[in-house]
Amino acid sequence: MDRTITSSNIKYYRLVQVTSLILIANLFLPFINLKEKAVSMSAFDIFLKSLQFLELFGDNKMLGIIIILTVLSPILTLLASLLALIIPKKPVLTISAFSYLFSALSATIVLFTVAKAVNGSGLLDTAFLVKYLGTGYWLFLILSYVGLTFAMLTIRVSPGYIVLTILSIIWLIPIAWVIMISFREEPGAYTSYFFPKKFTLNNYVVLLTDTSKFHYLKWFGNTLFVSVCSCLLTTLIVLSTSYTLSRLRFPGRKTFMNILLILGMFPGFMSMIAVYYILKGLGITQSLTALIMVYSGGAALSYYVAKGFFDTIPRALDEAAYIDGATKWYVFTRITIPLSKPIIIYTMLVAFIAPWCDYIFASVIMGDKYENYTIALGLYLMLDRTNITKWYTRFAAGAVLVSIPISILFIALQKYYTASITGSVKG
Amino acid sequence: MVAEKKASPLRDLSERIKWYGRAFKDGDIYTKLSFFVMGLSNMARGQIVKGLSFLFLQVCFIVYLILAGIDNLIGLYTLGTREQTKVFNEAKGIYEIIKGDNSMLMLLAGVTALFVVTFFVIMWGASIKSAYNAQKLKAAGKKLPGIIDDIKSLFDSNLHKLLLVIPIIGLIITTVLPLVYMILMAFTNYNMTHQPPGKLFDWVGLENFRIMLMSSDKLGYTFWKIFGWTMIWAVFATFSNYFLGMFLAILINSRGIRFKNVWRTIFVISVAVPTFVTLLVIRIMLQEQGAFNILLKELGFITKSIPFFTNATWARVTVIVVNLWIGIPHTMLITTGILLNIPAELYESARIDGAGPVKSFIHITMPYMLFITTPYLITNFISNINNFNAIYFLTGGGPATLDYFKGAGKTDLLVTWLYRLTVDSWDYCYAATIGIFIFVISAVGSLIVYRRSGSYKKEEGFQ
Repeated sequence: MDRTITSSNIKYYRLVQVTSLILIANLFLPFINLKEKAVSMSAFDIFLKSLQFLELFGDNKMLGIIIILTVLSPILTLLASLLALIIPKKPVLTISAFSYLFSALSATIVLFTVAKAVNGSGLLDTAFLVKYLGTGYWLFLILSYVGLTFAMLTIRVSPGYIVLTILSIIWLIPIAWVIMISFREEPGAYTSYFFPKKFTLNNYVVLLTDTSKFHYLKWFGNTLFVSVCSCLLTTLIVLSTSYTLSRLRFPGRKTFMNILLILGMFPGFMSMIAVYYILKGLGITQSLTALIMVYSGGAALSYYVAKGFFDTIPRALDEAAYIDGATKWYVFTRITIPLSKPIIIYTMLVAFIAPWCDYIFASVIMGDKYENYTIALGLYLMLDRTNITKWYTRFAAGAVLVSIPISILFIALQKYYTASITGSVKG
Repeated sequence: MVAEKKASPLRDLSERIKWYGRAFKDGDIYTKLSFFVMGLSNMARGQIVKGLSFLFLQVCFIVYLILAGIDNLIGLYTLGTREQTKVFNEAKGIYEIIKGDNSMLMLLAGVTALFVVTFFVIMWGASIKSAYNAQKLKAAGKKLPGIIDDIKSLFDSNLHKLLLVIPIIGLIITTVLPLVYMILMAFTNYNMTHQPPGKLFDWVGLENFRIMLMSSDKLGYTFWKIFGWTMIWAVFATFSNYFLGMFLAILINSRGIRFKNVWRTIFVISVAVPTFVTLLVIRIMLQEQGAFNILLKELGFITKSIPFFTNATWARVTVIVVNLWIGIPHTMLITTGILLNIPAELYESARIDGAGPVKSFIHITMPYMLFITTPYLITNFISNINNFNAIYFLTGGGPATLDYFKGAGKTDLLVTWLYRLTVDSWDYCYAATIGIFIFVISAVGSLIVYRRSGSYKKEEGFQ
C-alpha cells in the first residue's frame, strides 16, 4: 500500500497545507465577539485565560475539552501537513486527512456545545448565544471542512462521504428522537429540556398491557386483519384488471381504460361522505369489513403499474400455449401469474402498507368506536388534547412498535418496489 | 392480434342503435317479442336457464320500479317538497316534529335508481343480442350453447367478463356511485344553512361555480388564495424533491462511494416508516414548546421559539422543508434504477472528450432523466396538489385566518380545504365544487402525460 502520491493529487495536497496554515492563523481572530459589551476574544485568548483559571476545568470539564479541541486541532493539521511534506507517502497523507476530520468534528462540536459550556463557566457575565461567535470561529468551521475535502481528494476518497454523513444525521434524528422519547420516564408532551433525564421500559409495558383506555394490541390486530384481507382482495382485483386490459382484447377495452383514467383523477376523499352513507345503507359502518371494502374497492384504478409489467411479458408465450389448445384461463393462471412475481409482490406490499398509514377514511368510517380502531386512528387519538400529557411517551412507543414491522417489510422487499415503480415511471 | 377500430363514441352509439333496428326487423316473432319480454327467444330455442335468468331479471326490475324506483327518480328531480315542521301537540303540551323529506337521502336513492336503470338497460341490450344470436344460430342449423358451455366460455373466450366482475362491482360501489353523488351535489345548495333532515336543499345549477370562481364573495376570495398557494406548494414540493432526490441518488451511485446499500438503507428507513407517524412526530417536535425549539434554545441558537406553525410564512416554509425530508428518499429510490440504466459509454466518451463531472451531468444525466421521468414529474405534481397528509398532519391547514372563509388556514391546500368543508362546516356543495375543480386540473395534467407517454403511443410495442 506504500504508493507514492500521483501528480493529480499534488494540486490538492498543496491546498491541504495552505489550509492548515490559515487554520492556525485563525486562532488569533475573534472567536467570541460581543459588540454591546465590547468583548472580543480569540481562541488563543480563551486558551490563555483558561490556563490562568485552571480551576475552570474542575467545575466545567466541557469547556476545557472544547478549548483543548479547538486549539489542538489546527496545530494537529499543521503537524500532519509538515509530516506529509517530509514523507509524501500515502499513510502519512491519510493521517493528515484524519487530522482534518478531527478539526472539522471539533469545530462542529463547538457549535453545538459552546453555549452550554460558556454559560456554565462564568467566562462571560451574560447568557451566551451562538450569534456571539465571531468571524474567527466561522472561518475555522468552514476551513476545517474545506481542508477535509482537499485532504480526502488527496488520498482519493470521495468527499461525498461528508455530505452523506451530514444528510444521514438529518434523516436519522427524528427517528432517533422518537425512539428516545419512547424510553423516557418523565411523562408529558413538552419538557423544558431535550434529553430525557431517566429511561424506562415502562411505556412499552403500559402500552401493551393497560387496556382500560386504549387497547393497542387490539388495534394492532385490527390493522393486521384489515391489511391482510384488503391486500389479498386488492391483489386479486389489480391483477385481473391489469391482465385483462393488457392481454385480452374485447369491445369497449379502450373506453374502459379511459373511464378508469378519468375516475382516478378525482380526489379520493371527495366522495368520502357518500361512501359513508352507502356503507351506512348496507349497515356496515364502524366495522372492519367496511374498511376492507373501502381500501380495496377502488383498487382497479391503480392497474397502471401492473399493466405496464404484463405488457412486457412476450406474447409469444401465450400464442404457443394457445396452439397447444390451452384456454385463456390456463394461460392467465399457469403461465402469466408464475412469471409475475415482482409485480405481485409490489402490489401486495403497497396494498398491505396502505391501511397502516391511512387516517382519513378510517376516521370517517369508525367514528368513536374505539375497539375497531386501526393503529393510525389510535395513535392520533393518543395525541388528542385531553390524552397527550399522559399518553405522549406511550404514543412514541406505539409509533416505534408499528414502524418496526413495516420498515422491515419494506426494506426486505425494496428491490421489487423500486423495480416496479421504475418500470412504470419509464412508461 | 385483433386491430381495434378507431372508435368514436358517437359513431359507436349510432352503429349500435342501427344494429338493434336491424335485429328487430330481421327477427322472427320470438326475437321481436324478446324486446318486451326478455329471454323469450332463448327459452323458445332451448336455452332455458339463460332465458329464465333474463326473465327473472326483468321481473325484479319491474318490481323494483313499482316499489321504489319511480319514487326515487322523481325524488331525484324534486329533492323533497315537504320541509320538517314543528307542530304543537295540545294533549302533551309540547312541540312535536313532523318528519319531512330528507333531500340528502333522496339524492342518494335517486342516484342509486339511475344506476339500477343503467344496469338494466345494459342487460336488456345483452338479452336482445343473445335473442338474435340464438335465432341466427338456429337458422344456420348449429347447436346452441347450453348453460355449461356458457360457463366454460367464461374461462376462455369470455375471460375478460369473469375477471372484470369483481373489479367493476368494487369500483361502482366505492368509487363511481359516491362520485356521481358528490358531483351532483356541486349543483345543489347543500351547505351549512340547508342541512337535512331539518331543511331541504335544491338544485341551483351552476350557482356554486359562479360564487367560487367569479364573485368577490369571501368564498371566492378564499378559493383563489388557496388555489394560488396550492400551485406554489405543488411546484416547490415537486421540483425540490425531484432535483435534490436525484442529487442524492447520483451521490450514492458515484464511483468513490462504498457501502452503497448501507447509505441507501439509511434513507429508505424514512420512506419505510409510515408517513403519518413521521409527520405527527415532526409536528410535535416543531411546536412552540417542542423538542426542536427547546434544543435550539439549549444550544444557544435562539432565545425566542421559532413560530414554525403559527406564523403563515414560517408554516409554509416548514411544510415544504418537511416534505423534502419525506420526499427526497422516495425520489432517490426511484431515480436510482433509472440512473443505472444510462449507458456507461456515454459517460466514457464524454470523459475522453475532457468533460468533467459537472459537464457530463448537465449534458448527459439531466437530459436523459428529464426525458424519461417527465410523466413521473407530472404525475407527482398532481399527487402533490392532492397531498392531503403532509398538510393535514403537520399544520392542519393552520394558521387559521379571519380573511378566509370559515376558518380556512394559510397552509390549506384545495384538498384539505375540501376536507374541512365536508367534515367541519358541512358545506358539501362547495366541497364538491372544489373537488370538480381539482379534477379539471388533474385531468389537464394527466392528459399531457398520457398523450406523451410511450405506453400510450405504442402500447403493443413490447409484445
